[in-house]
Amino acid sequence: MIDLLLAGIENIIHLKYLVPLFLGTLIGLIGGGLPGVTITMTIIIVLPFTFGLDPLQGLATMTGVYVGGSAGGAITAALIGIPGTPSAITPTFDGYPMVQKGQPGRAVWLGIWSSFLGGLLGGVFLIGATGPLAAIALEFGPWEFFALFVFALSMVAGLTEASLLKGFLSGAIGLAITIVGFDPIMSVPRFTLGSEFLRSGFPFLPVLIGIFAFAQLMTDIEQMSAADRNRAPIKAPPLTVSHLKVLWEILSRPFLLVWSTLVGILIGVLPAIGGSAATVMAYDQAKKFSKHPERFGKGNPEGIIASEASCNANVGGSLVTIMAFGIPGDAVTAVMLGAMTIHGIQSGPLFVSQHPQIAYGIYAAYLLAHPLMVLICAFGARLFLRVVTVPKSILIPNVLVLCVIGAFALNNIMEDVVVLLIFGLVGYALVKARFPLAPLILGLILGDQIEVNLLRAMMSDPNPWLFFTRPISGGLLALSVGSAIFALWQHQRHKGRAAQAEQNPDF
Amino acid sequence: MTRDGVAGLICLALAIGMLVLTRGLPQSPLVPIGPDFYPRIVLIIMAALSAMLVASDLWRQHTQAAPATAPAATAPEKRNYLLVGIAFAVFAGYVVLLPLVGFRLSTFLFMAALQAVFEPPRSARRWIVLLISALVTAAVTYTVFEHYLSVLLPRGKWTGW
Repeated sequence: MIDLLLAGIENIIHLKYLVPLFLGTLIGLIGGGLPGVTITMTIIIVLPFTFGLDPLQGLATMTGVYVGGSAGGAITAALIGIPGTPSAITPTFDGYPMVQKGQPGRAVWLGIWSSFLGGLLGGVFLIGATGPLAAIALEFGPWEFFALFVFALSMVAGLTEASLLKGFLSGAIGLAITIVGFDPIMSVPRFTLGSEFLRSGFPFLPVLIGIFAFAQLMTDIEQMSAADRNRAPIKAPPLTVSHLKVLWEILSRPFLLVWSTLVGILIGVLPAIGGSAATVMAYDQAKKFSKHPERFGKGNPEGIIASEASCNANVGGSLVTIMAFGIPGDAVTAVMLGAMTIHGIQSGPLFVSQHPQIAYGIYAAYLLAHPLMVLICAFGARLFLRVVTVPKSILIPNVLVLCVIGAFALNNIMEDVVVLLIFGLVGYALVKARFPLAPLILGLILGDQIEVNLLRAMMSDPNPWLFFTRPISGGLLALSVGSAIFALWQHQRHKGRAAQAEQNPDF
Repeated sequence: MTRDGVAGLICLALAIGMLVLTRGLPQSPLVPIGPDFYPRIVLIIMAALSAMLVASDLWRQHTQAAPATAPAATAPEKRNYLLVGIAFAVFAGYVVLLPLVGFRLSTFLFMAALQAVFEPPRSARRWIVLLISALVTAAVTYTVFEHYLSVLLPRGKWTGW
């Protein structure tokens, strides 16, 4: 394994791969830092640029975006108090107050170094755990895969903050989108309404780009005001700091660093939950374990360390899920999964053994993206703040053009762009109806696999009880039911508390 | 009925409509499971969840019958839906123009139009800046994708390029 990793690093440090990785990390830092542009959006923007690259170049670029984006959000969060990405909400709690106390360099670099260390620890897990987990997944039959996908979907739908019912319905909509097109056994066209184009189903990436990009961009447009349009560029404060002192500040809290990293990894491994849950949970845990919880929210370094270490460790966890099971850990890895498919690479348990050069290339890219991120921040953190304040009136049209290129370049047909527009409208409508998008995306990604595995299982043995009597499959299905019941209980409890708070507004 | 109820009704109608369509799917005597097997499971789940959403919305309205007690907590955030509508329309125009006049011209027009919508230029200088930025986006994206990344971009039926 070490030999393969060293070979992967040797491969990645060639300019052919290092340049895309560097550019990806830089773009990720900028995209992650731009308020209103998430990492998912950044990776969608980058996607068309990877079509002309070889698979490892493309995946190295995306890995760079993912790593850079996870750290970039914290810089704007600390300096201007606006989270660049949803996962960068918690760094605003302590980073911004620290900046206001006159310590901008400390606030920013605590975040960057924590991201670096958390990310590298996440990398150790990524490299160490992918193989064994893939070996477990190799033992899976269609019953187990079906149950695993159902578990992933039920958990994501249940964990959404919006209504539980809408979470499940959103997942069902995602699954319903995938039933359009040829059926996997007889190749009978379904729900195509006579359209030749729809015979192979809705193309995954235009649907994903449409739903995600439009839902977000149109929400940004809604909130555009004259103040946004005429916003003056922000002057960045000097960020000089003793790096040794900052590193010591982090390393002198080994438990906090390791615990936050573990939280990030765990959330990353769980399908489609994403970085924001990881940072919020790690922040909450850090506060609970702290001797001085009252200092949180007032510029406490522990808050920054917990948030940022978990955020980048979450990236490692997400990559494990996609590489071992072929299930995206979040929306970013969902786009990466789509990019892999475009290059003819099937992600899943056989990925590491069938494509060791690419798999270890991704590990190497992940590890190298972290020092690159530190390097970019060291030279351009102040400049970076000027870039992220680019007016939305210029940014949004440019992003839309890149979305069109991304959709069109897949098959060089205009129908894909029409699909982009249609699902843009659908995504925006769903956001307006307050539907969570994560379950829909997961349903969209897993729909075909759920159908194929269900049919394979039923064709090899028509006894449906096997889904429940086979230990792993039955266990996963029980966990699915358990997670739905847990989510229901949580929602009821939350409702109860809200009602109580309304009755006793003084408390 | 609130937007939850309306969304539920739309999803319910879609699920039922698609369920009806599954009746026309051909079956094979050689294969025990037909092409309608999985879609029916998904659509029945979708229909049931949609119906539950509609019912819960109606129930909520029934139990919260007196809207007079609803507190007006804070002033609602001002949202510019007209701008969203125009942005969608401009984008739809872009999608229509792309195959007719090609990537370069349609992208230039789209960029100029959408920027003008977002930030209407009030001076000749602003117009020049806007047109130059539209031109730069069209030219740079075309050059990078076509020449450096070997990604083909739409050609125009009318223009031939």
